[in-house]
Amino acid sequence: MDEALNRPVASLRLNPKFGAVNVLLALGWRNLWRNPRRTWLTASGIAFSVWMLVFSWSMNNGTFGAMIDTAARQFLGHVQIQHPEYLDDPAFDHLINDVSGLVEDASNLPEVEGVAVRAQSTALLSAGERSFGGLVIGVDPQQEAVWSTMPSRIVEGRYLQGAGDLVLGVRLARNLGVGIGDEVVMLGTALKGGVAAAALAVVGILETGQAEMDRTLAQMTLDDFRAGWQLGADQAHALVLLLHRNKDTAAVAGRPWADGVIARPWTELMPEMVQMVELKRSGQGLFFVLIAVIVVFSVINTFMMIIFERTRELGMLRALGMRGGQLQTHLHIEAFWLCILGTSLGLALTGILLALLSVNGLPLPESTRELMMIYQMPERLYPEYSWGATWVAVVSMLIGTQLAVLLPAWRVRRMLPVEALRKED
Amino acid sequence: MSFALLMRLSLRNILRHRRRNAMLLAAIVVAVGGVTFMNSFIRGFQQDLRDSAVNNLTGHIKVFAPGYRDDPGIERSFYVAGDWRPDVSSGLLEGWAARIRIPAVIMSERETRGVQLVGVDPSQEGISFLGDAFYEGETLADENDKRIFVGQALVDQLDTKVGRRLVIITQGADGRNREAGFRIAGVYDAEGTGLEKAFVFTGRAALQKMLDTREVTEVSIRLTNDGAGSSVRSMLLSYFSGLEVMGWRELEPQIAAMFVFADTAIFIWFAIMMGALVFGLVNSLITAVMERVKEFGMLRAVGMRPGSVIVQVVIESSLLMMSGVALGLVVGWLLCQWMSEGLDLSQWASGVEMVGMRSVVVPRLYGADMMLVAGLSLVLGIVASLYPAWRAVKIKPLEAMRR
Amino acid sequence: MSNPVVEVRGASRVYTEDAVPVHALRDVDLTVQRGEFVSLAGPSGSGKSTLLNVIGGLDRPTSGTVSIDGVCLNDLNDTELADLRLHKIGFVFQSYNLIPVLSARENVEFIMQLQGVGAAERAQRAADILQSLGLETMGDRRPGELSGGQQQRVAVARAIVTEPALLLADEPSANLDSTTTGELLDLLRVLNETRGVTIVAATHDPMVMSYAKRRITLRDGRIENDSTG
Repeated sequence: MDEALNRPVASLRLNPKFGAVNVLLALGWRNLWRNPRRTWLTASGIAFSVWMLVFSWSMNNGTFGAMIDTAARQFLGHVQIQHPEYLDDPAFDHLINDVSGLVEDASNLPEVEGVAVRAQSTALLSAGERSFGGLVIGVDPQQEAVWSTMPSRIVEGRYLQGAGDLVLGVRLARNLGVGIGDEVVMLGTALKGGVAAAALAVVGILETGQAEMDRTLAQMTLDDFRAGWQLGADQAHALVLLLHRNKDTAAVAGRPWADGVIARPWTELMPEMVQMVELKRSGQGLFFVLIAVIVVFSVINTFMMIIFERTRELGMLRALGMRGGQLQTHLHIEAFWLCILGTSLGLALTGILLALLSVNGLPLPESTRELMMIYQMPERLYPEYSWGATWVAVVSMLIGTQLAVLLPAWRVRRMLPVEALRKED
Repeated sequence: MSFALLMRLSLRNILRHRRRNAMLLAAIVVAVGGVTFMNSFIRGFQQDLRDSAVNNLTGHIKVFAPGYRDDPGIERSFYVAGDWRPDVSSGLLEGWAARIRIPAVIMSERETRGVQLVGVDPSQEGISFLGDAFYEGETLADENDKRIFVGQALVDQLDTKVGRRLVIITQGADGRNREAGFRIAGVYDAEGTGLEKAFVFTGRAALQKMLDTREVTEVSIRLTNDGAGSSVRSMLLSYFSGLEVMGWRELEPQIAAMFVFADTAIFIWFAIMMGALVFGLVNSLITAVMERVKEFGMLRAVGMRPGSVIVQVVIESSLLMMSGVALGLVVGWLLCQWMSEGLDLSQWASGVEMVGMRSVVVPRLYGADMMLVAGLSLVLGIVASLYPAWRAVKIKPLEAMRR
Repeated sequence: MSNPVVEVRGASRVYTEDAVPVHALRDVDLTVQRGEFVSLAGPSGSGKSTLLNVIGGLDRPTSGTVSIDGVCLNDLNDTELADLRLHKIGFVFQSYNLIPVLSARENVEFIMQLQGVGAAERAQRAADILQSLGLETMGDRRPGELSGGQQQRVAVARAIVTEPALLLADEPSANLDSTTTGELLDLLRVLNETRGVTIVAATHDPMVMSYAKRRITLRDGRIENDSTG
């Protein structure tokens, strides 16, 4: 007689799984296409949630990037080198020394696009009988011209060129009742409680769109400022660095700088920006979780239908000698394919949409312009693809769909082959 | 076929696949509950926006001299009789205040800052954030109080404290600068917001004396109900002829824009949530139809009209939706109760402030929003059932029975 | 090798339906030797399907013992039972026999894949069996593209390709016309006579009974008649 018939059962139980997994992979994929409409509907749900997360995070990234860029180019830079205490306590005597050495260091870094040395103080600005508090900043016009958008914000007159020039924010100028050519007197506190004073002629009016700046900003040359506020030739409050790429910020801020100074990345200079984005992301994340839960329920629903329709077939597979575990695996594999299909669909659609938007940008409705100005957003939003969101979306969908199969699979394992085979259709 | 019978058939069919429909129901509950819950936070945020707009000295309606908004100063002021009261029924009026609000420079031994100097009658300021701010030291006693009440952040910047003196320079009614020393009565805490740096308060009459005026620069009115604004406005316009009367939406256009945006957000969130749901719903309904091809064929064969077939499928979908919506609203409500202390966002405090929120957002559940969610969900349930219903109608009795 | 392929001793099976016990099998003894072709007949509810399921390890007797090829099924857990079915038993059902998404060849190879047979050997054995059953041109068709008779032949091919100790058939002719039934039964007889495949078939169909060498009739869960010839 045949040898196979004489082999004891025990020796046959070593089951090389790999042969089985192969056929289960094929089985799962083909089973998916027994009801294409259902598969597409379920996959669309998965695709939808992937789209929601990746698209919204990518738009966020783009908007956020543009906001940082606007803020950095306007004034703030990506990194500022300051006295260690200046950020928490912007007192006038928290100065950095040896500015020219720092400028040289910074200019040699390949990541740096431009530098600007600034010194600043609050002061009382007066013209005629009128007086207002303001923020007086000494800048190097040549340095600013290289990269800052501030010179382009001039709405009247011209930007600083040399000694004796003064530019004012538009609200401040209006409050003081001054125009081009008028003289403004500034009084403040110099080092060691001395009196700081300067009298300069207005050469230009700035409009930044930000109320706070327009109401308080006054700029003069660094030399005039140092003279008026009695600073040394190599002293200032900040060395502002603009980088070619925002992502180098941490690296540049983290490199060793001279003693007695600290490099502040923009994340420390405007923490509210970081927090706003985190808040937005958390909101969208919570939203994604809810949508993912809805999708998981609909996947469970789909598999309930599948096992209901295939009860007899599942019984037959059981009768043929498939183990409970293999039967469950076969459902998990089907769910895996479904997830791959859904996430690919979602990523493809998101990719196309983002590609289109990255060419044309998303124009913002007229009604939100004012808001956008305040938050320094650009007029059109351009996305920046979020790999983080992709990763989160794909992994959570993989986990979600596998979890969704657990309940139906448990029911399949509990199903008695005899009853499954007997079921009427 | 009677509606009651169709109803019973639909109900039985839903119960036939209890587990499966339970999953669908759960999805609807999550969607509706989630939307309700998140809406309540949007509403809470909106409320915060308005409150902070109205609280930070704006009020619902404000009266100014013409030109003051562009160029604030004591020369753009107006006179309010001492016994004047807004002619508004007391049920609508929460309170009102007449103030002087002018730019000023404040100096300590170490620092100089530009601020808004505000002369107030403390007894009227129940309507602004001053009324319930935490503080150390003392509040202003009355409108003749010559001391100042300063924000915590400004005190830190100026490196001073309660009891110290600060010098304030501002312009008097005659156009000449006044310079005077003020003692700090107390330091207020406005939850770390920008208000702390912006506003320095003193007694109104004391300030008037210093500036040589009897006038004020603004009258702010707070109502109990935002909706009554327009009638109060026209009353104010006729009383203060020649002055500007503005509502908070005009005064705080950014906040008004955010306020409108929040209304839109509610619809966007609803649409996305329901978008995720609709795939599963249609899927389930189509399957429910296709499983019953024989049954529908038989029903058609014994004389059920095509219209009744459609109604049966639509009823099935609506029943599922209705129960899901009811449960979802309950879940949303329970979540709001659970979070009624508010959601603490203080880890993002300055970002939160940037978008005009407070660090604790309290969910606010409005009946109208719940009705809206319920109504739109039911419409969606019916729309989603149309394609499956159409499939069911397409079933030919003979073919179906032959299968 | 003195072990019988099937040995049922004192097997009873009681179902409880709506709290009423139903005796599907009552104290059945049955021995099937290697190479036998047995038909199980009897009216609906006589217990023939239950007996077949108990022998196939799909159902467990309430009392009594069942041994297949010397292995007592009572001692096996569900996984071991599945493995026993995989390696020792071939099944042919009345319908829903084949996996609809796999082609005829893949259906035939399926069990060998579960067993872990290598690809080359699998392909060879599948080709051989399809050829010997006259199905070589049908290999790439899916079950939906095959006639009922062809489907049953593929099912038989799948059942015997792993050379099981026992082939169980449950109403194999139920969905076939008499010509195709004749062809299927000829095939089973050839397999039984030339390859020595042991066959147990539960059936209503007199034609199936006429092909079996040993005919067992059940009634009310008991063996009523057991005749050979």
